[in-house]
Amino acid sequence: MRRFSAAVALWGVVALHVPAARAQSTGADPGRIELSAGALWVGHQALGSTAANETTSTGTSLRLFSTSSDLAGAAGFEGRVGVRLSHALVATAEASYSKPQLRVSITNDIENSTAVTALETMQQFMIGGAVVWYLPYRFSASRVAPFVTAGGGTLRQLHEAATLVATGRYYQFGGGVTHLFASRPNRRLKGLGLRAEARAIVRQQGVAFDTRAHLAPTLAAAIFARF
Amino acid sequence: MNRRHLHVACAALLALMCAQPQPALAYLKFGVPANGRQVTLKWAQTPVRYFISTQSAAAGVNASEFQAAVARAFATWEAVPSSSISYQLAGITAATPGRDDGLSVLGFLNRPDLDRVLASTSFLVDRVTGALVESDIFFNASFIWSVDSAGAANRFDLESIALHEIGHLSGLGHSALGETELREGGGRRVLGAEAVMFPIAFAAGSIAGRTLKADDIAGISDLYPAADFEGSTGSMSGTVTKNGQPVFGAHVVAFDPAKGSLVGSFTLNAQGQFSINGLSPGPHIVRVEPIDDAEVDSFFDANGVDTDFRVAFSDRVVVVPRGGDSGPVTVTVVRK
Repeated sequence: MRRFSAAVALWGVVALHVPAARAQSTGADPGRIELSAGALWVGHQALGSTAANETTSTGTSLRLFSTSSDLAGAAGFEGRVGVRLSHALVATAEASYSKPQLRVSITNDIENSTAVTALETMQQFMIGGAVVWYLPYRFSASRVAPFVTAGGGTLRQLHEAATLVATGRYYQFGGGVTHLFASRPNRRLKGLGLRAEARAIVRQQGVAFDTRAHLAPTLAAAIFARF
Repeated sequence: MNRRHLHVACAALLALMCAQPQPALAYLKFGVPANGRQVTLKWAQTPVRYFISTQSAAAGVNASEFQAAVARAFATWEAVPSSSISYQLAGITAATPGRDDGLSVLGFLNRPDLDRVLASTSFLVDRVTGALVESDIFFNASFIWSVDSAGAANRFDLESIALHEIGHLSGLGHSALGETELREGGGRRVLGAEAVMFPIAFAAGSIAGRTLKADDIAGISDLYPAADFEGSTGSMSGTVTKNGQPVFGAHVVAFDPAKGSLVGSFTLNAQGQFSINGLSPGPHIVRVEPIDDAEVDSFFDANGVDTDFRVAFSDRVVVVPRGGDSGPVTVTVVRK
C-alpha cells in the first residue's frame, strides 16, 4: 500500500501546482460531492501457461499435457463516490462487480486427447480509491472536460458457488472525459452528466497460475450527479 | 490371535496384489477384510518399529550401507510435514523378511525366480480387528544394487526402491501416475512417473525415485494426517461415465496449474465414483484415462475394469475448497 499512497500524494502535489486548473463549470460551484454509477468492461487477462509434467529417469520432465489460462473479458457494474478537493482534483471511493470466466485451455496431451477448454465463472469484486485530476484544457464544447485518474485497492474473487476466495490488489491508471448534461450551480443537484473513461488495471495475486502481475484494459461509462 | 498373511505389494518391475482397494479414497490405500467389514490397512501406533535383517548385504551393498540407505528412505517419508507417520529402528535381527514373527524386518532375499521383482512388501494383519501387526520388505539379492549418491550405471538404486516399499509398509498401494512403453524383450520401460508409488521402477542407474511427489504426499497424509492436514487441504469427488453408464477402474488425475502438482485416484465402485483427498485448495484440471501403463492387477483386482475409452478432460475448472469438497464432478468418456 505504500506505493499507492505515494501515487496519491504525487497526484495531489501535481494538482496543487496547476494554477489554471478549472473544473467543468467555469467559475461556478461544481459541487462538492459526486456520485456515479455505470457499467464497465474489464478486458481479458492472460494468467500464464503451465504444463502437467512427470519426471523421467534422468530427472527431466515428460509433459503429460499443457495448459494456458486466462480470465476472459467481462462486463460489470461500478459505483463511485467522489469528494472534490479542489476545482481540479477529486478523490473517489469506488467499487465494482463483474463475473469473468476463468478459461483453461488444455492442449498437447501425451495421448493425443482432443483439446479442451475448461471453464469456470467467477465473481470479482474490486474496492478501492482513486484521484481524478481534471486537466486544465477545455474542448470547444464547454461541457466536456478531460481528466486523468490513478488509484488502487483490493480485489476479491469468488470461485464458483463461493467455495473459495482469492484475494489480491489492483492498481489502475487511465483517463477519460466527463460531459455535463445540465449544470445548476444554485440548486442542491448541481450537475448531471456522463463519464467515459479507459483504464489499465494491473492486478497482483488473486486467481493466477503464475506470480506475475496481470494487466487488463478496462472501459467504463457512468452517469454522475454532483451535489 | 486369528491372523492372515497378506502378500500385498511388489514394487518395481512387476506387481502382485491380493488386497482389495479401499473404495472412493485418494490414490490407493489397501483395504483388508476384518470381521465382515473392510478396514483401511494402516498402523494403529507410531512410530512404526522396524528391524534390519542380518541378511542385509548383496551385490553392490554392504550391511551398513543398506541400513543407511533404508534409514534415508524412512526419513524421507517421515519428513512429510502434513503427515504424522514416524518410524524407529528397533534393532538388528537374525530373522528374515516374510516370516510371521511379529517383527517388521527389512533385508535381502535371493530370489532369482522373481526375475522382474526388485523388492516386495508383505503384511501380517489381525483378521478380527484389521490391525496391521507386521510388515516385511525383502529386496531381491539377485539384482545388482547401488547406494551411490549419484546412482551407478546398471545398478538399481536401493534408496529409491526402499522409498517405494516403505510406502507400501505404511499402507499405500500403487499409483497410476506414470507413462510407460512396452519393451521388445517383454515388460515395460518407464517414460515418466509422478509418484514414487508407481508400480514400475525407473531403469537401473536412475535416482529419480528418491523424491516424494504430490501424489505420495497426499496419500501418506491421508493415511496419517497431521493436525492441520484436513483443514488446509480439500477434496474432489465425482463420477466417470461412458454412454451413460458408470466406468469402473478409470484413473482420475487432478492437476493444480498453480502448483504444477498431480494427484491421482480411481473410480472404485459400481457407480463409477471417485474421490481424491489431500488436494491443494484452488482450481484444478481433471484428466481421466484408462489404466494402460501397467498391468491392471498391479493396482487392484482386474475384474470389471474398463480400459476401452479415450483420455478425456472435465470441461469444468474444478475448484477445491479449503477443508471441503469440490462437489460432484462428472466426466464423460468415449470408446476408443
